[in-house]
Amino acid sequence: MITLTHFLVVGACLFSIGLYAVLARRNAILVLVGIELMINAAIVNLVAFSRYDKAFYGGQVFALFAIVLAAAAVAVALAIILNVYKFYKSVNPEDIRNLKD
Amino acid sequence: MPNLTLTYPLLAALSAVLLPFAGFLLSIALGKKARHGTVAIVAISLSLLAAGYAFAQVWGHDPIHVRWHWFTIGQHAFHVGLLLDNAAVLMLLLVCLIALPVHAYSFAYMKGDPGIHRYWAYLSLFCFAMLGLVVADNLLLMYIFWELVGFASYLLIGFWYTRDAAAHANKKAFIINRVGDIGFLVGIAMVYSSVGTLDVQALFGPQGVFAAPAGADIPAANGKGTVTAGWLTVAGFAFFLGAMAKSAQFPFHVWLPDAMEGPTSVSSLIHAATMVAAGVFLLARVFPLFNEAMLLVIATTGTITAFVAAYFALTQYDIKKILAFSTISQLGFMMSGIGIGMYHIALFHLVTHAFFKCLLFLAAGAIIHEMQHMKEKHGLAIDPQDIRNMGGLRKRMPITFATMLIASLALVGFPLTAGYLSKDALLVHAFEWAALQRGPVSAIPYVLAIVSILTSFYIFRLLAKVFFARPAAILANKGVSAHEAPRQMLVPMVFLAFCSLFPLFTFNPLNDGQVWLLQGIAAELPTLPPLRLLHLLVPILATITTIIVAVVVWRWYIRGHYPLNTTGALYRLSERQGYVNELYGAAIVRPLLKLSALLWWTDRHVVDGIINGIAAAGRALAGITTWIDRHIVDGAVRLVGKLAWGAGNVLRRSQTGRVQQYLALVFFIILLILLYLIFAQA
Repeated sequence: MITLTHFLVVGACLFSIGLYAVLARRNAILVLVGIELMINAAIVNLVAFSRYDKAFYGGQVFALFAIVLAAAAVAVALAIILNVYKFYKSVNPEDIRNLKD
Repeated sequence: MPNLTLTYPLLAALSAVLLPFAGFLLSIALGKKARHGTVAIVAISLSLLAAGYAFAQVWGHDPIHVRWHWFTIGQHAFHVGLLLDNAAVLMLLLVCLIALPVHAYSFAYMKGDPGIHRYWAYLSLFCFAMLGLVVADNLLLMYIFWELVGFASYLLIGFWYTRDAAAHANKKAFIINRVGDIGFLVGIAMVYSSVGTLDVQALFGPQGVFAAPAGADIPAANGKGTVTAGWLTVAGFAFFLGAMAKSAQFPFHVWLPDAMEGPTSVSSLIHAATMVAAGVFLLARVFPLFNEAMLLVIATTGTITAFVAAYFALTQYDIKKILAFSTISQLGFMMSGIGIGMYHIALFHLVTHAFFKCLLFLAAGAIIHEMQHMKEKHGLAIDPQDIRNMGGLRKRMPITFATMLIASLALVGFPLTAGYLSKDALLVHAFEWAALQRGPVSAIPYVLAIVSILTSFYIFRLLAKVFFARPAAILANKGVSAHEAPRQMLVPMVFLAFCSLFPLFTFNPLNDGQVWLLQGIAAELPTLPPLRLLHLLVPILATITTIIVAVVVWRWYIRGHYPLNTTGALYRLSERQGYVNELYGAAIVRPLLKLSALLWWTDRHVVDGIINGIAAAGRALAGITTWIDRHIVDGAVRLVGKLAWGAGNVLRRSQTGRVQQYLALVFFIILLILLYLIFAQA
C-alpha cells in the first residue's frame, strides 16, 4: 500500500536533491536543473494531495499549470544564462559577484 | 482772562521770535553755502520791523496775553503762550535793536573766518532764544528759552573751539550757568507746588497771586493753609540764584571774563547787552515774589558785585577783560536797582547799558581787528588785546575814538548821555531808599557812588592807554600805523553811539523824571518819598567827581606823574581778579578732580576687579564646560557612530556577492523560522 507519506518522502527527497544542486553546483545550467527538480518535488506533492479533491482534481490541474509555467521559466532562464555567458564568458555562479559590496 | 485769538501785535511778536529761528534752520540747512550771512541779517531785520510794530502797538497799553493748551499731566494743564506787556515789548525791541547792528558789524568783522557759516546759525539761534525768553508767558517756557540762551552762548563762546582757552571758557560758562539753572528750576518747582500755576500774569500780575503786600502769607493752591513767608523767601532765593549765574553776579561772575574768548561781536551782543540782561529781566518779571529780606539780599549782592568787578577792572590789561568786568559791575548796579525795589530803573539802566556797552565792545572789536591786522601784516609778536601795545590811536581811528568816547561817557554817567539818566536815577533812588533803612545796608548808595568813581577811573584809563598815550615802542619802532575800521563796522557803531545819547529817551537831558521809558513801567510801582535835594545834588557831585577823575587819569597815564606801584597787595588782588578763580580751583575744582581720581581708581581696581573676577570665573566655567562637551558629550556621540560603523563593517562581510550563498542563507533562515513555529506550537 502506497500511502501519502511515500509520495511526500519522494517529494522531499527530490526537493533536497534540487536544493543541493541549486546551492552547490558550479554550473548555471545545472543550477537550473536543480530548480526544475524542486519544482517537480512541489508538483509531486500537489498530485499527491489531489486525492483529497475527488470532485475537481484541483491538485492535478494545478500541477499541469505548474509544469507549463516551469517550462516557460526554463526558457527565460536559459536566455538569461546565455546573456550572462556572453557578458562574463562564464556560467559559474561563483564568478558573477557584482552584488558584492 | 487770556484770549485765544491772534491779534496783529501778537502776530508781530510771534514772527519777531520765530524769524531768527527760521534763519537758524535755513542757515543750518544751507551749511557752508550760507557764508555771507544774508539769511541771518534778513531774519533779524524783519524781526526788528515786527518787534517795532509790536512795541508801537503795545507800549503804554494794557498787556496782551494769548495762550494755547500745550500738554496735560494728570489734572494739570500746561500752556504755551505770549505775554506782551511793557517790559516784554521793550526787551523785544531792545534785543532786535542791538542784534541788528551786531549782525551788520559781524559781516565785516567775521569776514573770512573758516567757520563763519556756523557763526550766523548760532547768532540766529541765540536771537531766537533771547526773544523767546522775553515774550514767554509762563515760567516753564521761560526756563526752556533760558536754557537755550545758555546753550547758544556756549556755542558762541566756544566758536573758535580749536583754541584751548575758548574750549575751557565755554565749559566754565556752561557749568556755572548750570548752577544757576538749577536754582531757577527749583524756584519754578516751589512756586508750582505751592500756587499751582506757572502763568506769569496769574502769578505776578496786578491781580496776581503775589500782588499782596510782600511778606504776607499767600493762600496755598490746595486751599489748605497758606504758603509761609519762609517758603517764599527760599523760592525767591532760588530764582535769584538763577539770575546770579546768568547775570554774572559775585561770586558767579567768573565765567564772564573768560567768555571773552568768543568773537568780540558775540561778546558785545551776548555778554554785554542781552544774555546777561536775562537775569535782570527774570528778576523784574518775578519781582512781586521777593519779600523784604530777599530784596536786601539782592541789593547787597548787586552792590558787592558792582564794587568787586569795578575794582578788578582797574588793573586789567586785556581790553576785553576790562569791558567784561565793567559789564559785571553795571549788572551789579541793575541788581541793586532791583534790590531797592526800583526795577523799572534797573530795566531802564539795562536798556541804556545795552546800547553803550554794546558800542564799547564793538569799538574794542574794531581796535582788536586793526591790531590783529597789523600783527599779521608785520609779523609782530604782540597780544592784539593788550592795551599796553596800543596807544595814539586817536588820530588813526578818529571815528572809533569818537564813538568809544561817547560810550565811555555814557558809562560814567556824564550829562547829555543816556547813562547819565539811568545811572543817576539809580543812585538817587538808592539814596532815597537808604534814608528809610537802618543798619549796614544804608551804606549801599555810598558804595555805589564809590563804584561809579572807580568806573570813571578804569574807563578813562582804558581811553588814555588806547587813544592818548604814546604809541607802544614795538609799533613806533617799525613805523607801523593803524587805519580806521571798514565802513560796515563803523555804521553800526555810529548808530549805537546815537542811541547812547539822551534824545532817544527824553527831551530833557538833565531830568530823569521825564524819561518815557520809566513812565511806561513805573506806573505799577509804589514810589519812594522823593528827596528833592538829592535830585539836584547827586548828578552835580557825580559829574564833578567824574571830571576830577578824568584829570587824575590824564596826569597819571598821559603825563606820567604818578609812578605805578605794581607790587602792592591791593594791586595784586585786583590784577588777579581777587583770586576768585584760584579759590574756586582750590575749593571746588581740585577736590572734584581728586574725587574723580578716587572714583576712577575705585572704578579701575574695585569695580573692574569684580567684573574681571566674574569674567575669569566665567571663562574657567566655560573651559570646564568645553572639556565636558568635547570629551564626554562628543565622546558619547562618537561612540554611537563608531558602534554603528563597526557593526556595519562586520555585517558587510556577509555581502559576498555569491548568489548561492545568499540563497542558502535565505533557506536556512526560513528553515529556522519554520522550526521555531513548529516547536513553539508544540
